[in-house]
Parts: sequence; structure tokens; C-alpha cells
Amino acid sequence: MHRIRRLSVALTVAGVAGVAAPAAANATSLVTISGATSSYPLVSLLAAKYVKLHPHKIRFKIAQGGTTVGLNDVKAGSVTIADVAQEPTGADAGLDFYPIAKYAICVVTNKANTLANLTQAQVASIFTGKTTSWSAVPGATAAGPIEVFTRTSVAGVLTSFKSLLLEGKSVTSHATEEATEGLMRQAVESAPSGIGFLSNYQADKGGLNSVSLNGVACNKTTAASGQYPGVAVFFEVTKGPATGGAAAFINWIDRSPAAKKIISSQWVTIG
Amino acid sequence: MSTLSPQAPEARPARGRQDSGRGRRSSPMSWRWGDRLALAAAWVAGLSLCAIAGAIVLYMGYRGIQYLRPGLIFSRPQVSADQAGSGGFLDPLLGTILLTVIGIAIALPLALASAVWVVEYGQGGRGRQSLARIVESSIEIVAGTPDIVIAIFGLAVFQLSLMAPFSFTSEGGGVYGRSFIAAGAMMSLLALPSVYAATRDGLQAVPGHVREAAFALGKTRITTIRRVLLPSVRSNIATGTTLGISRIIGSTAIVLILLGSTLRIETQGSVPAIDLLRGTGSSLTAYIYENSPAGEGAAPQKAYAAAFLLLIFVLALNLLVDRLGRAHASASGLASAGAVV
Amino acid sequence: MLERLKKPWPDRRAERLLGAVSLLVAAVVVAMVAFVAAKSWPIFQHNGLGWLLGGGDLETEIANMNAAAVKPAASVYHLRAWPLIYGTVLSTGIAVVLGMAIAVLSSVFIVELAPARVRRVVIPVVRLLASVPSVIYGLIGILVLVPFIGHHLITEHERRSVQNAVQLTGAGLAPTVLILTVMITPIMIALVCEALASVPASWREGAVALGLNPLRAVRAVTLKAIRPAIVAAAVLATARALGEAVMIQMVSGGKSFSPSPGDGIAFFFEPLRTLASAILDFREGVGSPPLGATIYAFALLLLFSAFALSVAGYLVKLPLRKYQTRG
Repeated sequence: MHRIRRLSVALTVAGVAGVAAPAAANATSLVTISGATSSYPLVSLLAAKYVKLHPHKIRFKIAQGGTTVGLNDVKAGSVTIADVAQEPTGADAGLDFYPIAKYAICVVTNKANTLANLTQAQVASIFTGKTTSWSAVPGATAAGPIEVFTRTSVAGVLTSFKSLLLEGKSVTSHATEEATEGLMRQAVESAPSGIGFLSNYQADKGGLNSVSLNGVACNKTTAASGQYPGVAVFFEVTKGPATGGAAAFINWIDRSPAAKKIISSQWVTIG
Repeated sequence: MSTLSPQAPEARPARGRQDSGRGRRSSPMSWRWGDRLALAAAWVAGLSLCAIAGAIVLYMGYRGIQYLRPGLIFSRPQVSADQAGSGGFLDPLLGTILLTVIGIAIALPLALASAVWVVEYGQGGRGRQSLARIVESSIEIVAGTPDIVIAIFGLAVFQLSLMAPFSFTSEGGGVYGRSFIAAGAMMSLLALPSVYAATRDGLQAVPGHVREAAFALGKTRITTIRRVLLPSVRSNIATGTTLGISRIIGSTAIVLILLGSTLRIETQGSVPAIDLLRGTGSSLTAYIYENSPAGEGAAPQKAYAAAFLLLIFVLALNLLVDRLGRAHASASGLASAGAVV
Repeated sequence: MLERLKKPWPDRRAERLLGAVSLLVAAVVVAMVAFVAAKSWPIFQHNGLGWLLGGGDLETEIANMNAAAVKPAASVYHLRAWPLIYGTVLSTGIAVVLGMAIAVLSSVFIVELAPARVRRVVIPVVRLLASVPSVIYGLIGILVLVPFIGHHLITEHERRSVQNAVQLTGAGLAPTVLILTVMITPIMIALVCEALASVPASWREGAVALGLNPLRAVRAVTLKAIRPAIVAAAVLATARALGEAVMIQMVSGGKSFSPSPGDGIAFFFEPLRTLASAILDFREGVGSPPLGATIYAFALLLLFSAFALSVAGYLVKLPLRKYQTRG
């Protein structure tokens, strides 16, 4: 009886190990990444493709947490690369920023609210809390108070949104903060009087009404052509120049056609 | 929660019309309004509990049957641009199993040793007794500590540079601190109090004459424990272990903080079994959390499917505890005390 | 080596080994307090005990900690975490009070009033409710309860009334307290049932013989007799509610806001955050010195609360010793 029990436990562990072992048992270099939730889908796809094309060379561990968390982690040396969705600032001395893709920041409302267009001034006024009711917004089919959704302070998309579309002003303090892009999308999808902002990848998933800015629709085409005003950059950031596996990965993203194909599927390539 | 079985009302001599066994003229029609209200409230409370439990099980069942496919259980999670292609939850399932195995493997010897020591060795002399009290109180404190504090404590411990072999070290010198062994070790703290309490109660219930018989035959205390007492409390240990397993598979906080949250099980290093222990992964509970609107929110269907599976596990464990409890109550605990070296 | 294990063990050595292992467990507890306290020291160093009070804007303070993580100035450690403490006390308090009422009523129902058939169903149901993982409660909360409250229970009037302070999205105090009550009630029911069953039937019968109806007899005699068990149940349930992180994080709205009763009905729909859910919210930032210390400070506070609860429960039970029905 004991033997059978021991045997079954051993078999279970062996079974688990057997399934897990093929997942890179003897890869040499480990690249850890953390940071923006907006570039997480892109970086995960790129990393998966890289591992498929260059097996047993690099392994990736990709976490999220937000742009600022990624920057802090890479400054402290806890990760190799940070995913960053905002421009470098004065506090980022000593870090190297490598742009990998461009994305558009779209203003989105609930699907029931078929607001077609907003001027940049209107966007600023709504998000800073000056305009509080949908009745003051022409073209909006929602009624009642405007529910503003924003991102937590660690988000790169928020920083880029503020500098590009809010003229540097802050979002109103009574807006509801969401920790990730996914949560922001969920929130606006379920709040009929909600409004928020997302990268075009999330906004294009359907289920939301994407609002044009100054008459220009928000998608990767208008972002590529430069017509859309709210275009920001995804960076891969390392402490000092990238070396080893990280450098190989970043170079591959820069040069390889396979990487370009992935990027241009939902985002905009650099150059 | 070992006894939710209230005693049956004592036998009474049959009365005239009302033999509800609660005395004559106890029909609620004759009570005051306040008491009738209280009676109704008690019934409502009891039945609404059943209603809520039924609603939860039925709703999860409905959603689970809607979304759970065998393919999901056996396919690995994929990275994909949209959640339709994101695969199943084999890795999280294996992660849960692995964590349970590690947790019980660590908790069982610790709990057994402590229970045996406290019951058998910790009764003689003032010094021993106060030490035994300290051990008991410590385990009670562990039982009352919230999961999230245990998880944070685990992070503090496993991020020490001393503990680098248990996970890995990143470039800047920081120890990652998150791995299966880190999470499993903290899971063992969850299971420890259940196994300890069950074993201790079982050992205390063994009558003194069993031990005396063994001593009279010339056996040492430790041999008595190994060959007579522990085998006789097997079902208690099994009950406690099952309760511990139930607590481990339901824990989310420890997994979110201590397991590295990688989609698939990723090994670390090159030594065959050790690399799995040092690796990162995910568990069913973390998978449910990440796929719910609280995580990335992109796939509530997958969350429902995994939640249904988890609920089935929990129900099965509950039934097992029930069976073990009943088997123990009916069997004589001394039946196996005959085996003496 | 397996052979050596199978032979009889030396008694003294075995005793010492077992004793050492047992004390190891005690050492773990000491280590837990020591580590958490050590890691949270910077917060106490810069704030004293003032971080338990209110006055600052917690969201801004956390943002500052994130922004200045690598070479933090002393001002970055400024912390005023009262909204979290208030949120914890509020949600736990309401849930325990509600839960205790329901638990006592249900226990009386199970032990005294229910026919045997119903009892056979209700007892496993209670055990089931107690063992459902909190993430499943959270899942149902966030996918069913929160949208229901947000779309059907919150009126526009209420939204407007708190418009300048906070937004009502359905996630907030109401679903938190409701689900928390469902989670902790089974624990209390188990303890109270056990205690009710152990009260000698003769006590209740004496009351009935004196003319009380059965329910009154229970109230007059049995409930008074099980007061220590009720205290124990309350302590256990409070400890459970304090430590609940995952479910609360999913349904509470995640805003460090103090719901104010002065807002009327809207009070129940306002978002909040508790200590445990805050730890979970900020868990990614544990690598940065100021935010990490903050997280450990919250954990230390939770640890002390659990201790204090056990001690308080013990002290409350002392004068009730004379009502103990066992032994």
C-alpha cells in the first residue's frame, strides 16, 4: 500500500517534470523583462517568435507592472530589459532607450455611446474634469455624468497621453484608475457613460467605440501616416548599452522581416 | 470543523397529539409575534445559506459546462494576439498539483514530528510543558496568519542572497525569489496547522493502555510511536492532510506573489528535477485570477472553465474528508494497534 | 541507509530530533515577525507611527514612491495610510456583524429547529461554502455581482451626488461586504453549532418545563451558555476577513478612498481599499525600497492585528469561563 502510494507520487512528479522539461531544459541565456502592460502583447509575440526561430539560445521571463515599475527594475538591476511606453525623461540617465514600435493612443467610449469625434480641446476638458456631463458634449448619445477612467501612475500610456493630448495637464483626481490596459478596456466596456484611453491594439479589439480626434480616426494607418496626433513609441530599455542575449533580441527586432511582420500586424514599425 | 453533527434529541415517552419531542403546546401558532419572527428568521437564514451555495454551484456548473472542454485541460497555454488562440490550462493545472505535492511533502513531516513530540514527549516536566505550549501557540499563530502575510514573508526570505539557489539571480545581483519551491514552502505553512491538529487529536485519543502495553513488551517510546501509535491515527492524518490540500489548492495570494506568473512552467538551470523546483509557472487559481476582469480580463470563458474544474476538485476533497471522517468514526482506532515490532 | 532507518531508533536521539523539528516550527513564527518588521523599518523610521493616520493623499504618495524608487529622498517615504485602515475596519466590521447574526440564526436552525432531513442537507452545504476558494467568490463577484450593482442598483442621482469626489462603478463596499459575509459565516456556523450541540439538553428542557417556548428557551439559556464560543467564532471570522486579499481586490474598486456615511445610500457603493488588497495591488513594486517598505508595513499591521485579535478573544473569554459547558 505504501509502495503504491510512493510510486504514484513519484509518477506524478515525474509526469509533471516530463511535461515541463521540454520547455527549454538547456537554454543558455535568460532575459528578464518587466514594464508596460501596453507593449506586453507585442513583446510576448516577438519573444515567442524569437525563441521559435533561435531555439535554445535565449529564454524570456516577461512580467508586467507598468512602465515605471519596469524602469525601476532595470535601474536596480533586477531585470535585463524594461518595456517602456513613454519618452525618456531626465530621471532616466544611464539607461539606453531602443524604439521598437509606434502605437496610437485612442480615446474610447462605451459601445452604446456613438460619439464620433472630439477636438483635442474637448478631450482635455473632459479628462481634466472641466466637462462633467455628457449633455455638454455634442454628438454623444450617453446621458448623465461622464465616468472618466484613467491608468495608475506607473503607466507609460498615461504619461504619453498627458503629454500628447492633454497638454501636460493631469487627469482629474476622481477618475477611476485601472492598473492595466485590459482592465481599462473592461471598465469602459461595462460602463455606459464611461470614457477612457487605450493603445490602438486594445481599442481595435471591438466592443468599444473609438473616437476620432480632430476628424482623424484612430488606427494604425493614420498613426503610420502621421495624421493622428496621439502617436507614442514603445521602447526596450536597458541599463547602459544592451549586451548579450538582450542585444541579440533587440537587434533582431530592429532588422528581421519576421519581427517587422509581427509589429505591423497591429502596430506601426519604426522607420 | 470536525463536528457539525449535533446530538440527536433524547428519546422521550410518546405524548398525545404533539410528539415533536419538544414538549406540549409548542406550536408556533401560540407564540408571541416576536418569537414567530425569530423562528421565521432562523428558517430563512438556514435556507438562504443553502440557496446561496446552490446558486454558486449551479451557476459555476452552468458556466463550466458551457466553457469547459477536455481540450482545455490537456493543451498548454499559448501566447497569442487574441484570446481565442490562447490555448488551455494544462500548465496551471500541473502547477497546482506540483505546489500541492511540495507543500504536503514539507508540511507532513513537520506536522507529524511536532504533534508526536508535543503529545508524547512534551508532557513531562515544567520546561517541557512550556516548550510544548510554545509550539502549540506558534502553530495556532500560523493558522491565524493571513495568506498574504505568509506570501510577503516568503518573498522576504527567498529574496535573501542566501536563498539564491532556490530561484535565480538577475544581472544586477538581485535574487528573484520566486519559484515553485518558494511558493511550495509557504504553502506548507498553510497545510501545517490542519495536519498538526488532526494528528494531535488522534494521538490524544489513543488510550493510555495501548502505550503501556507496548512498554510492557519492552519497546522504547519511539518504537511505540512508529509502530503502534502513528499507524493507528492514519485516518486522522489523512483527514488533516486532505484539509491541508484543500487549503493549498484554493490559495491565490501566495501563487501571485511567489510563483513568478509565467504562462507556462519554465524551468531554471540544468539539473533535471531541481530546475523544475527553481522554475516559475502558474496555478489554476492564478490562471482564474489573470483571466478574470481583475487580471487582464481578456478571457472570462477560460476563467469560468478553470474555476469549474477547481470547484470540482474542492468538492471531491470535501467528500473525501467526509468519507474519511465517517470511516474513522466507525472503525476502531485500535484495530491496527496490534502491529508491534 | 534504508536498512538503518528500518531498525529500531535510539530513543534519546529521536526525542531530540523531534523536539528540534517542533521548535523549528516555532522559529518560523519568530522569523516571520522579525523579517516583516525589519523590512518595514524604513516606513517607521520616516513616519513614526504617524503613517497610521490620515491627512495625505495616498495615491500621490504611492506615485511618488514609484517615481523616485532608485535614490529616494526622505520625503518620498511620507505615508498616511488611514484610508486603508478605515476600509479594512469598515468592511470587516460590517461583515462580521452581519455574519454573526446570520450564523447564530442558522446555527439555531440547524441544531434546534431543522428536521433531520433538512439538517443532513444543510451541514454539507455549510462545509462546502467554507471550502470554496476565495478566487471563485471573487470571480462570481466581479462577473455577476459588480455589473448587476453597477447597472441596476446605482441610480444617476447617486452618481451625481458624489461626482466631485469619486465615481460609482458598482465595485465598492456593497459587493465586498456581501461576499465577505458569505465567506466568513460558515466558519462561525461551524463553531456555534458545535457549541450549541454541547450544551446539555437538560438546561434547555428545564427552561421549557418552566413554560418558555422552545425558541425562548434557546435564547434565554443556550445562547448565554455558548458566549465563549460566539466570541471565538467572532475572533476567527474577523481574522479571516482581515486577511482576505484576492476576493476584495477583485470587487472593491481599488481606490484608496474612505467611504463616508454622510453620502447616504451612495456610501454603500463607494470604492475602497483594504490593507490586504493594497498589498496585492502594489505587489509588483516590491522591488523599489520605499514601496517595498510600505508593503511590509501593511503586512506587519495585519500580523499584529491577528495577534491582537487572539489575545483580545482570550481576554474576553476569561470572565465567561463560568459559563463553559464542557468538562
